[in-house]
Amino acid sequence: MSAASTIAATTATARRADRADWFAAHAFTLLVIAAWAYAATQIPPIALSGPWTTVKALGAFLGDRNQLAHMVYSLMHVGIAIAISFFIGNALAFLAHYAPVTALMVHGRISPFLNAFSGIGWALLSLLWLGANHLTVIFSISMVLIPFALVNMKEGLATVDRELIEMGRSFGRAGFKRFTRIVVPSLYPFMFATLRIAFGVAWKVALTAELIGGGSGFGYLFDLARQDYRTPILFVVILLIILFVYCADRFGFEPIQRRLQRHYGTR
Amino acid sequence: MARADAPASAPALSGRQRLVARLLADGLVVAAILGWWAMAKSLPASVLPTPAAVAEQVWLLFTDSVYLGHTAASVLRVILSVALALFIGGLLALLPAALPWAHGIVHQRIKPFLNSFPSIGWAILAVIWFRVSDFTAIFVQVAILIPFCLINISEGLKELDREALEMARSFTRSRIKIFFKITIPLLLPYIVGALRIAYGVAWKIALVSELFGTGTGIGYLMGEAQQSAKPALLYACCFAIVLIFFAGEKLVLDPLSRRVRR
Repeated sequence: MSAASTIAATTATARRADRADWFAAHAFTLLVIAAWAYAATQIPPIALSGPWTTVKALGAFLGDRNQLAHMVYSLMHVGIAIAISFFIGNALAFLAHYAPVTALMVHGRISPFLNAFSGIGWALLSLLWLGANHLTVIFSISMVLIPFALVNMKEGLATVDRELIEMGRSFGRAGFKRFTRIVVPSLYPFMFATLRIAFGVAWKVALTAELIGGGSGFGYLFDLARQDYRTPILFVVILLIILFVYCADRFGFEPIQRRLQRHYGTR
Repeated sequence: MARADAPASAPALSGRQRLVARLLADGLVVAAILGWWAMAKSLPASVLPTPAAVAEQVWLLFTDSVYLGHTAASVLRVILSVALALFIGGLLALLPAALPWAHGIVHQRIKPFLNSFPSIGWAILAVIWFRVSDFTAIFVQVAILIPFCLINISEGLKELDREALEMARSFTRSRIKIFFKITIPLLLPYIVGALRIAYGVAWKIALVSELFGTGTGIGYLMGEAQQSAKPALLYACCFAIVLIFFAGEKLVLDPLSRRVRR
């Protein structure tokens, strides 16, 4: 058999496998929706909101400005907390890197402590300190995210290409220019990875923080729905969060990160 | 991708710099405790109890029979949940290796779904479905932890040494033998990595299950402390979690990692 026919046969087999994979994934989705619909006919609506009821509740949710406002509040909490934790985590990592005497303090004391502290603990304590408001929610989420940003940037700084910096020095780049033109661009993939991880974790923590310590956001809606046994609202909020996280990751973070990895040659 | 629980590497410092580094690190801890003590004197105990009052409550959490019951319940639940999540996540990660057509089901349907499902969503739905019980708390923790185990073990499978597997296939046709003698040992660092991440997430995020789903455990105690205005107990629960987390890392996970690396 010639090389060309071998390649053609391999490509055909790969294509068949891709088609089987695609078909199985879609069949699985349909099967799950059918099982969900069937289960909803057998279980009281208070325990399980069926697919159609959830879609109708989603329509009503999207048409209600008050409820949409809670969605905006949650997005705001997550966005601000990511920005704050990104700044503080990165600042601590830079401090430890450029002033090595502080490395033990940052990586041996602050980072392990923040890393071991419970998310619910931050939410309950900040409720005690700051009362039920936006600040409590943002503070709780930020405290959980800081160690992720710190450790990711520490890894990034440890892998910055020494030869590249050396070359910059030999071309006469001044300290600050070397930092902004060589070090910072090399860290883009790590910064981006931090944002991607932070986005996923933030949603896991945000709802708990809003439920415990805030009077707004998806978590607050969740609490109201739980108390009034409005199960469809619970399902709508869960569905919206799954859509947010999935779409942001699949159509936003993933392609950008792939491009950054290709451009900077990192994994 | 770096993990939030990756070990810290010590930079090379001179003897004097090492001393300054140690002074800064331990000085920060002392300054934090002194600052806390000074603030506690000027703030009401309902907002900030003294370090001594909190230390006393932490001691009770590990010695008083009632509190110890709650602490032990949380520890046992975390161990059981991590083990179950590791098993289920591992099976899901291995499924596409046995059934290639299941790759899309696992990686494009189950993984993103579980990964983006809010943790509090599991907690509230599980209470509606199963009422308040031990099973509910464990179910919620397992549901939250599975995606972390699935992602880490899947990464391990992607990085497996193809040549080692190829060589094993030339020695035997038994897939079970290859699985247990080659695949699992090659996967061990990733399994330990998954264990470490799941353990961290269980204490940091999955404890929410005890806040709603059960009448025992440190998470339940935290909710109780907040509702019945016992701030010292609330602070003590937070610090007890930090202590248990460190104990688990130093006594179990670090030795396990070292053994696997060898």
